[in-house]
Amino acid sequence: MSDTEHPAEHATDRRTIAGPLADAPLTGGAIQGLDYEPISMDPEVRVVKLGGQSLLDRGRKALFPVLDEIVAAKDRHKILVMCGGGTRARHIYAVASELELPTGVLAALGGYVPMQNARMVQMLLAKHGGLYMLHDDFEKLPLYFRLGCLPVMTGMPPFAYWEKPVEGTRIPSNRTDAGVYLSAEVMGCPRAIYIKDEDGLYEHDPKKDPKAAFIPRIGVKELEALDLPDLIIERSVLEHMKRARFCKEIQIVNGLVPGNVTKALDGEDVGTIIHAD
Amino acid sequence: MSDLVTGDGRTHVRSTLMRESLQDRDVQARAYSERELEIMPDVVMVSIGGQSIFDRGAEAILPLVEELAPLMQQHKLLIGVGGGTRVRHTCAVALDLGLPTGGVAQLVGAMEECNAVFLNALLARHGSIPMQREHFWDLPLYYRSGLTPIAISVPPYHFWEPPNDEGPMPAHGSDFGLFMHAEVLGMERIIYVKDEDGLYDKDPKRHDDATFIPRTTLAELRAAMPQEMILDRQVFQAWPDARHLERIQIVNGLVPGNLTRALAGEDVGTVITRE
Repeated sequence: MSDTEHPAEHATDRRTIAGPLADAPLTGGAIQGLDYEPISMDPEVRVVKLGGQSLLDRGRKALFPVLDEIVAAKDRHKILVMCGGGTRARHIYAVASELELPTGVLAALGGYVPMQNARMVQMLLAKHGGLYMLHDDFEKLPLYFRLGCLPVMTGMPPFAYWEKPVEGTRIPSNRTDAGVYLSAEVMGCPRAIYIKDEDGLYEHDPKKDPKAAFIPRIGVKELEALDLPDLIIERSVLEHMKRARFCKEIQIVNGLVPGNVTKALDGEDVGTIIHAD
Repeated sequence: MSDLVTGDGRTHVRSTLMRESLQDRDVQARAYSERELEIMPDVVMVSIGGQSIFDRGAEAILPLVEELAPLMQQHKLLIGVGGGTRVRHTCAVALDLGLPTGGVAQLVGAMEECNAVFLNALLARHGSIPMQREHFWDLPLYYRSGLTPIAISVPPYHFWEPPNDEGPMPAHGSDFGLFMHAEVLGMERIIYVKDEDGLYDKDPKRHDDATFIPRTTLAELRAAMPQEMILDRQVFQAWPDARHLERIQIVNGLVPGNLTRALAGEDVGTVITRE
């Protein structure tokens, strides 16, 4: 078989550009001859998620006071508003899963709902400078902030059809919590903020177990060791946090309590803080 | 399934996942079944190496184009292309500047797209067409028209590339992107066209005593992953949870006829099977 011989000892050459990576495997791995001193793009940005089921599906009663606090803080802070999906996303996942569609298709379909939510929030914030932006507009954030605008986008990361399947479920692992977290990480922000309808993390779902114990601050490893059957944040976020360079904390606050959003934007430790160990 | 449910301050759409936490393991298990729809099982993904094939220029590319032309009529192919040395140069500069992993990921796809345009220019007369990023649903149109789409290989992780264990380089490269592209469409096999006969226990370009591995399984490979891999490691991390892909073949595209034989189902090069 000709393929077991070494063919023509490469009659042609690879025309490579010299550099420390010229012959290195392209993905992962440490690179010899390259000092990596990471820079954070803009650590001042506050990346804030509006929960889908927890906040947006509650409508005006829950959402308006939260937006009021964001608007009041917008001239003190650069705020990137990202939106969750909620019950319509759940409906999509339920239908798509019943139809036995692949995870990547669920992820692509699941992206439509947070996009709708972001557009709704933009309309509400329009008079205060609300701007709807796409993933591809991410590089324009400095402009939006200079103009005093409030950029609003989907929380979903753009993985869509390229979302990896996982064993045992078709629900995509990286949904809006992960997208918000990864936005904060690439921006170089030390903390991402999640506005939900619970005070933060509990050992059980407090909606089902009113006696569930509240956890104000916890490390990722400690949290994983608890092996909770349920969590207020996507498990993939914890995986990303373990490898993070910049975003070492996430904060979960109850947006139904007046003043909480302001405190979180001002850097106060209200709600639950989950930190990388 | 269309009625609305209220009463807890939120408005719900009735579904099996209504009101539930999607992080709850029992809830997650509800969105599962053993079966999964194969969207386009009869398409074969062919990935053409960037540094291994494209960076060698006309001498390596043109014979492969000749070989591909009739194959495009015989098989439903989806072709992807790696980025090669320009990607490495991009990363070297970006990392020297200290750009974050997601920032590097945002940059690299442009170089792969150049190679896809090169290839499309060469194959256009034989019926190739560039496939836009997420235009999966145009594929039946292309195949009905006898066209062979050329896909964008790097996955669209962009700024959202998750940090990885190994270093600042993005972990999700073109091999992985094409793997996921094939998996989500329910394809059974991918053929990676490179400039080595297949998989070795170490890089044969650097080690004379590298041992060729003609056939292996995913489990065997994961039990003893070679330090230097000819494909993205992420491919082998994602594969165990994949539902469709059964076979990855790595062939030497510098040897005429290899791709033809691989597409005909011959065990040329290295064959990695899932089981």
